[in-house]
Amino acid sequence: MPTLIPTKERLTPKDRLTLALQGKTVDRPPCICPGGMMNMIVESVMDRTKSPWPEAHSDSRLMADLAAGMYEGGGFENYGVPFCMTVEAESMGAPVSMGSRTHEPRVTDYPIDAVSRWIELRDIDVTTGRAKVVIEAIRHLGKKNPEVPIIANLTGPISLATSLIEPVLFFKALHKKPEEAHELLEHVTKNLIAFGKAQLEAGAQLLTISDPSGTGEILGPRMFARFALPYLNAIVRELNDFAKAGTIIHICGRLKGIYQELNLLGCDALSFDAITDVRQVAEHVTGKVLMGNVSTFALENSGPEKITALCKSCLAHGVDILSPACGIGPRTPFENIQAMVNAAKKGEKKEGANKEGT
Amino acid sequence: MESQESLLKELSNHVVDMAEEEAVETAKRYIDGGFDAYEGIDQGLAVGMERAGQLYEEEEYYIPELLMCSDAMYAGMDILTPHLKADESKDRHKVVMGVVEGDTHDIGKNLVKIMLETAGFEVVDLGRDVPPEDFVSKAMEIGAEIIGLSTLMTTTMENMERVVQLLAEKGQSQIRVMVGGGPISSGFARKIGAHYSRNASRAVELAKSLVGEVIPC
Repeated sequence: MPTLIPTKERLTPKDRLTLALQGKTVDRPPCICPGGMMNMIVESVMDRTKSPWPEAHSDSRLMADLAAGMYEGGGFENYGVPFCMTVEAESMGAPVSMGSRTHEPRVTDYPIDAVSRWIELRDIDVTTGRAKVVIEAIRHLGKKNPEVPIIANLTGPISLATSLIEPVLFFKALHKKPEEAHELLEHVTKNLIAFGKAQLEAGAQLLTISDPSGTGEILGPRMFARFALPYLNAIVRELNDFAKAGTIIHICGRLKGIYQELNLLGCDALSFDAITDVRQVAEHVTGKVLMGNVSTFALENSGPEKITALCKSCLAHGVDILSPACGIGPRTPFENIQAMVNAAKKGEKKEGANKEGT
Repeated sequence: MESQESLLKELSNHVVDMAEEEAVETAKRYIDGGFDAYEGIDQGLAVGMERAGQLYEEEEYYIPELLMCSDAMYAGMDILTPHLKADESKDRHKVVMGVVEGDTHDIGKNLVKIMLETAGFEVVDLGRDVPPEDFVSKAMEIGAEIIGLSTLMTTTMENMERVVQLLAEKGQSQIRVMVGGGPISSGFARKIGAHYSRNASRAVELAKSLVGEVIPC
């Protein structure tokens, strides 16, 4: 029996997202964009909150105001920081360019040139640098609207590893030096758990891990099972109790070929790219709440009508949480984001999702 | 004495099997046997890399495997190349490539480079995070026929269009532009006046057709 929501009771965005992540019945689907690699920030929100990039990447007050400005303006129904996937790599020793108003920060060089040299990497210190900025930003967000869920974000283990060592060297090491590649991934995972825990203890209620370089398309099913899955699951296992509202994993690229492995992920929700058909994921992945997958290219380059149609199609094909398929570009027009939120608001009541079905 | 045919087959197999040391060892035996170095590359190592590319298309191999295969190919080439006759290393079609400014994800670009080199193109790799002007000036400097651009981020796609515009401004529109990467579609490529390939092995077919169009044979 699905839980019935009394008609008079209004669900807050936090309640709704929490229920949706637990696979419970909601009045209508939530519409979120987690943050981190899944950037949720656009230029008009920078202007409105007077918190522009690149400054907001390194200032906790600006970061919090910018993240909050998205919901306050009628956009995504969550707060999420940071706005890039370089905080962890920088904290572990990679040089980072902060980008510009319209370009995300990026790693400009790799601190190690062999997987065996992982021992030379610094540990993430949440009391200093941009890791501290993120933690403080979450504390500031905790003092804003308590009805809005705050999402902690982590860069996935393979994506962090390939921000610390040249990806070609890393991917070859999976064949040439598998033991040492595992040691690097263990080290990276240990650091991610510490950073994720600090974010959740600072007041975030849920966790998203985005691993754009650890995809089935890059690694193939065997390598994904050996080098991505165990570390993603280690993070979820360690942080599950701290992420009270739930956990989301975002995997880029085509998922065909790794459906079996995705079923073994320990997260509550699976978020995926626009290249993957929702119907196929719904058919092959069980026990997961599905999140996605409105094309970020369409969000940036088309208009509200097209976005409304894409949202309807996502929802009709089985998405439980409406979200962009990846991080959005800062030039994305705000009315396209509002079109997404409106589509979710017009979405139908969802009975307990396929998560219960296992 | 081993036949050339069996050694070529062996070279090709070592590449497919990701066996770098064996590729070197066989390449040495091939040269010791007095066989033609160019044929060793063209009909041995490159055939192996093409087979690896085929396995990638068939989703049997993925990126770690392709990179291992390419290591075996390049290791074999290091042995054979010094034995090429002088005229065999000239007059190859030139390609300038790199990841556009704003992005540092270069795995896709590296794969395309490997496959283009396998197919006999001369590739000048400008690396990651490359400003649009640099692509154009390098291509003009070396007389390249193709510029290959890659990005994995939607925010940097405009820099691809900028390269096409710069070429037009400088009257260099005979230089064709190939684009690829996660967010890129054939529709986007058409819109900016570039050519699209979905993956590294398709990029070779595209490059071949582009130089065929530009240079009448």
